Amino acid sequence: MVKVKTMVNIKEDFKNLDLTVGDVFSKDARLKARNVNVFYGINKAIDNVTIDIGNKEVISFIGPSGCGKSTFLRCFNRMNDTIDSCRIEGKITLEDENIYDDKIDVVPLRARIGMVFQKPNPFPKSIYDNVAYGPRIHGLSENKEHLDNIVEESLKRAGLWEEVNDRLLSPGTGLSGGQQQRLCIARAIAVSPEVILMDEPCSALDPIATAKIEELIHELGNEYSIVIVTHSMQQAARVSKRTAYFHLGKLIEVGKTKEIFTRPRHNQTEAYISGKIG
Amino acid sequence: MENKHILSSFDDDLKKLNDNLLKLGNGALTNFDSCINNFGTQDIIEIDKVINGDIILDELDDKVQKLGFEIIALRAPQAADLRRVIVALKIATIFERIGDYSRNISNRTKLLIELNYSDLPGVNIGKMGQKTLTMIEDVIESYTNEDDKLAVKVRNSDVKIDKMHTQYYLEIVASMQRNKKLAPTGAHLLFIAKNIERVADYVTDIAEQVYFLVNGKVLSDERPKADESSLIIPE
Repeated sequence: MVKVKTMVNIKEDFKNLDLTVGDVFSKDARLKARNVNVFYGINKAIDNVTIDIGNKEVISFIGPSGCGKSTFLRCFNRMNDTIDSCRIEGKITLEDENIYDDKIDVVPLRARIGMVFQKPNPFPKSIYDNVAYGPRIHGLSENKEHLDNIVEESLKRAGLWEEVNDRLLSPGTGLSGGQQQRLCIARAIAVSPEVILMDEPCSALDPIATAKIEELIHELGNEYSIVIVTHSMQQAARVSKRTAYFHLGKLIEVGKTKEIFTRPRHNQTEAYISGKIG
Repeated sequence: MENKHILSSFDDDLKKLNDNLLKLGNGALTNFDSCINNFGTQDIIEIDKVINGDIILDELDDKVQKLGFEIIALRAPQAADLRRVIVALKIATIFERIGDYSRNISNRTKLLIELNYSDLPGVNIGKMGQKTLTMIEDVIESYTNEDDKLAVKVRNSDVKIDKMHTQYYLEIVASMQRNKKLAPTGAHLLFIAKNIERVADYVTDIAEQVYFLVNGKVLSDERPKADESSLIIPE
């Protein structure tokens, strides 16, 4: 990570980064957000946020409710486009390509940047078809055998294959909550994304299902960049190498998780993780 | 402990931990003060109070350890809160050890009374004890006020105790060589001087914990040391 103090060496157009404390840049950045502002109507939900998401990095976004962490997460795959009153300023690049460029088609973009939501949302289809859906619409499979392989490999990577391989044609909605969430992760990785966004992926799960998802995040972090929004600070501490703390739309501090939770640099971060503000 | 937590019972737990730790620290201070004082006055009743009172420090240490573990398990403290709990657990053990040394010094003082002792030439156990007592007082003050500068000062003052110990070691051994009848007295005085020197060492450990509590990082430079008693063969 490059320290904020040395950022003058990086040829990027950004301003007012002094608002954020810590290591906002990554030497091996896959996603780059620069001076991002998000408005809902006249309300500013995200205020001048600059941050890199590294290649094969698991990073957590934490902060009190309404701090903008989910809003900012949704900027990365243009999920906010579906909200009429939402306006986004600044620049976000994936592999140095501006994802808000007019030429960008959001459908393949959302395959490159997959998303897992708070509540498991399998399609009302079979387990097989849930995973096969993405490869089919993006034309990623050459034939039935290839598609079978993609489905099997994705379910294995999501740690679900052993539990469902004898009932692939059963409805995905018939699985337990934890299994459904792993099915959604399998669905996301079936299209070989570069980044996986997770918006409170365990908040509807019991501790065992949560542990399985966290173990999965740990394993998937070796292949993908993963951004996880979580209200559980213990979860952020367990799964991520880097943590970013948001407050009132501002990125207050970002740094190594072990430093954020033992010796944060900003008083607001200290107060939040210690349960003194919320 | 500024800034209250949203969950007030968390503050209550931390306060309880801190109160018990300070009670233990002040108990260790009182017992050490008494054992040094009793060395001079040879008051058997007061000596027995220190020996029998050590169990109270053991119980307070157990209480701090229990409270600390409970806070870690139930509250998952972070950052400064986590440091406070970890530091409390470490410091409590050190205060309990200081209590053990005070008891040991008291036991030896009782034996020395039977031997009709007095300080040997060039040896002043009371002076060494008083300087160490000041270190304990200061380190408790540094913890209470989260004063890292005072903690560093306490840590660096240990070198004076080291020098006294080296000097007393040589003087006691020299006296024993001159008059073999002084060997039993000298042996106990050697242990008492060593115990005081160890107490001062423990105080520097507490000072380093206070520095960590305040700053979130350990003191990096080597602590000044001057105890050469383990390196010298007396003439």
